[in-house]
Amino acid sequence: MTVTDDAPVGSDAPRSGGPLVELAEVQKYYGGLHVLQDIDLTVARGEVVVVIGPSGSGKSTLCRTINRLEPIDAGRILVDGMPLPQEGRALARHRADVGMVFQSFNLFAHKTILQNVTLGPIKVRGLAKGEAETRAHELLDRVGVAQQADKYPAQLSGGQQQRVAIARALAMDPKVMLFDEPTSALDPEMIKEVLDVMVDLAERGMTMIVVTHEMGFARTAANRVVFMADGRILETTDPETFFTSPESDRAKDFLGKILKH
Amino acid sequence: MRLTRLKVAAAAVLVASTLAACGDAGDDDDKGLDVDVQDNAAEEFDTGTRMRELADAGSITIGVKYDQPGIGFKGATDDTPVGFDPEIGKILAADLGIAPEDINWVETISANREAFLQKGEVDLVIASYSITDERRQVVGQAGPYYVTGQQLLVKADSDIESIEDVKGTEVCSVTGSTSLANIEAEGATPRGFDTYSECVDQVLNGTVDAMTTDGAILLGYAADHPDDLKVVVEPFSEERYGVGYSIDHPEMCDWITETIEDAQEDGDWAAAFEVTLGKSGVETPEPPAMDPCA
Amino acid sequence: MENVFSDFDLVLKAFWLTIQLALLSGLLAMVLGTLLAAMRVGPVAVLRGVASTYVALVRNTPLLVMCIFVFVAAPNLGLFVGTPFLLKGTIAVGLYTAPFVAEAIRSGVNAVPLGQAEAARAIGMTFAQNMRHVVLPQAFRASVPPLASTLIAMTKNTSVVAVFGLMEATARMRDFVNKNSDDTIGIFIIFAIGYILLVELISLAAYGLERRWKAAR
Repeated sequence: MTVTDDAPVGSDAPRSGGPLVELAEVQKYYGGLHVLQDIDLTVARGEVVVVIGPSGSGKSTLCRTINRLEPIDAGRILVDGMPLPQEGRALARHRADVGMVFQSFNLFAHKTILQNVTLGPIKVRGLAKGEAETRAHELLDRVGVAQQADKYPAQLSGGQQQRVAIARALAMDPKVMLFDEPTSALDPEMIKEVLDVMVDLAERGMTMIVVTHEMGFARTAANRVVFMADGRILETTDPETFFTSPESDRAKDFLGKILKH
Repeated sequence: MRLTRLKVAAAAVLVASTLAACGDAGDDDDKGLDVDVQDNAAEEFDTGTRMRELADAGSITIGVKYDQPGIGFKGATDDTPVGFDPEIGKILAADLGIAPEDINWVETISANREAFLQKGEVDLVIASYSITDERRQVVGQAGPYYVTGQQLLVKADSDIESIEDVKGTEVCSVTGSTSLANIEAEGATPRGFDTYSECVDQVLNGTVDAMTTDGAILLGYAADHPDDLKVVVEPFSEERYGVGYSIDHPEMCDWITETIEDAQEDGDWAAAFEVTLGKSGVETPEPPAMDPCA
Repeated sequence: MENVFSDFDLVLKAFWLTIQLALLSGLLAMVLGTLLAAMRVGPVAVLRGVASTYVALVRNTPLLVMCIFVFVAAPNLGLFVGTPFLLKGTIAVGLYTAPFVAEAIRSGVNAVPLGQAEAARAIGMTFAQNMRHVVLPQAFRASVPPLASTLIAMTKNTSVVAVFGLMEATARMRDFVNKNSDDTIGIFIIFAIGYILLVELISLAAYGLERRWKAAR
């Protein structure tokens, strides 16, 4: 599997012509709390979907169900036409195809930046060390942290760490990338450098599901905006429509608070 | 005074008749031999001697081993210890007119025998108690009533026959004992255990090649497992077992010596050996000559 | 008459046996303890149960009981009959120490942020890979101080096998004391120094590791 810099990432031959990610009637409870209610969502190949909503609306949980970091209680989740497997090797293979970027970066603290990016390809994909390193250097260069390859995560700024985390996910050649509030833990001056990388990724045709509060990113990069509140999807529409004329009162209220500043 | 003496005499008669009444329990069981308890024993001894005091009191405290089968052993369910040493104790007590059931048995271990005698916690120690010059500095030791030496206990089918055969074998004994150092000097790998019974277990299950300590102790274990174990090798050290008494009562030496010599002559000594150590199948040895008292 | 100075080779031989015991038992305890820790934090309920039971059973049993089992009870059941004494000592001390190692590592695992394991799962690592490459290496770093304490205790615990047929340092010390009752203090000092040196080596190694790993952060 060779991936050049110019080729769209996640260039695996599609398994089916249908949607890449499909959620149908998904339900999830935390004890008595119904955190995901009747979630239906389809994401087409190459589409960028931004999920927004007030905190506690269930958007992060939604994101985490797609690679089964959170199991669901009812409903179906299909990725590239395949239902999510139960815990075990099959699930591990599935997760390798779904990249994930966390709010708190979660770089492996005991590994260098380079090792963070090569660990998955070597151990999970079975790549030779040299091959994995060449590819890792390319990716680190692309996200602008090539100089830091031999440092440890704690020696990098938050923005740099998050860009490494993106490179780590990309190194697995995922079919889809999940971003769980990737800029929420960053100082303001570092947010842009991460968003720039994400916009670049979107332009290269990566399928992305992004949970964020960054309305600017939603406007410029998203194909669709999904608005969630209280565990439900209230609106699914294009960004322009959503930001100019939201339908639901919750969305109006939310936008009013966010866009005031 | 007269009254007391009468009372004791009466008690002694009573005890003797009680014994006679239920005395035919047989010589073969583990309770050991019946002994002939002296009537009116107290009158045999001069006033003021320790023997007279004990006879008057009608009881005696004797320290023995509780963990050496054949020598001195008390199982969890036994009321009294059994073995050659307790038999010697009973012979001595009987001479004072004290019946076996009036003997107060106390466990003495190797480390506390001198202290128990010095503090008067026991009247006699008969506990595989080797006579040495060092010990005779602090306690009295009459005897030897039995002479043994370091030997080897092996499985019945073992090839070990002489002391030369132990070179390169694994031999167990009690940790820190002289026996262990001696066998190490003979070229065996010493395997120290906390108790003799753990050590015997190792021989029985084939973990070690032999166990070593005083032959008398080994004979006791061999008697417990006559089909599986045997005692081999000429004794390569000499241990002379003595009866310990307090150095404050030197008059006890002659009494102990004479009583045991009598038992050696009238067959009681041999009978005591046969029902204890002799059960391993060894021939009853000639009784040793007792040392004269100083 | 033998004494500690004229027979110093016996002292060295005894400590060499103590060192062998400590190294081999330490190896067994680390391997088994790591396995137990992984089982306890793992996803398989049966293995979690097995590991918890082993830890509870062995941690609440005195070492002496474990030794009696390995040296006395097991051979009577036909187990470990031909096994060399050194190996039996290793088994007894190693099996006994493993749960303490497991608990030290488990506390280290709990100190590793949840996000580390999540990130490893998210790139498709299996539980075993996650443990081996991400969680345990970090858990070991957090576990160095409690592990050092465990290994120090274990090194001193090897003295229990003195009464189970192994002529290690403590057995040899008893041997010397028995033969030289006039010089027990000298004997005590020699053997105490030996143990102190051994234990200090472990402390130094732990300190070195902590420093190295601190620098890597």
